[in-house]
Amino acid sequence: MHISEGVLSPVVLGGGAALTAVGTAIGLKKLDYEAIPRVAILSAAFFVASLIHVPVGPVGLHLVLNGLMGLLLGWLAFPAILIALFLQALLFQFGGLTVLGVNAFTMATPAVICFYTYRGFLHRGGKIAAVAAFACGATAILLSGVLVAVALVSTGQAFFEVAELVALAHLPVMLIEGIITLFVFLFLQKVRPEMLEGIYA
Amino acid sequence: MPEPWSIRKRSLTVTWILGITVIFIFGVISTPAFAHRIIVFAFAEGDTIQVEGKFVPDTPVRQGRVLILDAKTGKELLTGQTDDQGKFSFKVPAAAAAEKMDLKIVVEASMGHRGEWLLKAGSYLPGAASGQAAKPAPAVAPAPKAPGTQVANVDQQALEAALNKVLERQLAPIKEKLTELTIHRTSLTDVIGGLGYIMGIFGLWAYFQSKKGKDA
Repeated sequence: MHISEGVLSPVVLGGGAALTAVGTAIGLKKLDYEAIPRVAILSAAFFVASLIHVPVGPVGLHLVLNGLMGLLLGWLAFPAILIALFLQALLFQFGGLTVLGVNAFTMATPAVICFYTYRGFLHRGGKIAAVAAFACGATAILLSGVLVAVALVSTGQAFFEVAELVALAHLPVMLIEGIITLFVFLFLQKVRPEMLEGIYA
Repeated sequence: MPEPWSIRKRSLTVTWILGITVIFIFGVISTPAFAHRIIVFAFAEGDTIQVEGKFVPDTPVRQGRVLILDAKTGKELLTGQTDDQGKFSFKVPAAAAAEKMDLKIVVEASMGHRGEWLLKAGSYLPGAASGQAAKPAPAVAPAPKAPGTQVANVDQQALEAALNKVLERQLAPIKEKLTELTIHRTSLTDVIGGLGYIMGIFGLWAYFQSKKGKDA
């Protein structure tokens, strides 16, 4: 999921950075005092999640949790992901500082999209909400995969090669993230419904 | 479904305990640092350079594209592909040896994964030099001395070359290990440090927000 340094062209890097800056600005505007702990917890979860390896599929990937972040944070996912990615780049050498913008954009944008897509269904509760939570986790990964592919293709890599790999590689992760998002959602609904306030706002 | 306060309170305590346990388990499991960073390292063995690429922590990069570049100009010297063990080897290009280039070795895998290694000229040139010196006999010393010393000179050079070869072979595994050791691997300290940074950053943010609230 993290694109390494030196792969993308400067145009793509600049574009990603600009879009991330816009997203983060919107996120920070919405970040009020009450939401800070929520953002901090999820930022920390995202930071650690990428160390958890999913050893299935041709390449094997790690968790991303951006669907879950979208579900709980909406636009606030942008600053949360940006900070976690920045620290990952510094401490783990995942991605890199020049690709920070692109990586944040490919992971945070699906979070925001999923938030607005599934909010209505999550709202309803019951089985519909459960299905929506699963779909939220899975779709976010899929969209991230697509965005990574777009970034690579617009830098000049062969389209079919990239698209095939991205689709294949992300299937198992989609499933796992869907399940995780589903369980976290059900759990929070039961014991900490106020954490889900983003959906109801 | 409003629950009695006491039950709700207890379930919250349970939640916190669960949450903390999960964080600790994640912390422990993740110590070996699984993820998708490619590490590349290269070392010289005689006039051959061995390159190895792997995903952290230990999965070889199979059929990854290898690029050998001149570190200064970025000119491509040669390209190749890693084998099933993630390894690739090549003879030091004559141009690189002649111009004492630092080599930038890049291994690329699918989906934007890429790793680099800088091989300094100093660390592969001795091997390359000894490999080439063996072929053309060194220019004979100009001073017309006794023929005996010249023979001894050549003998000594041959001996040195042979010694170099043996040494290279013996030292190769040590070099490989040493090179591997210089690579930074994610440690538990990094993970905990990162979590601490996140807490600090958001703590600061909360602090300023709370200030603002009071002033207003």
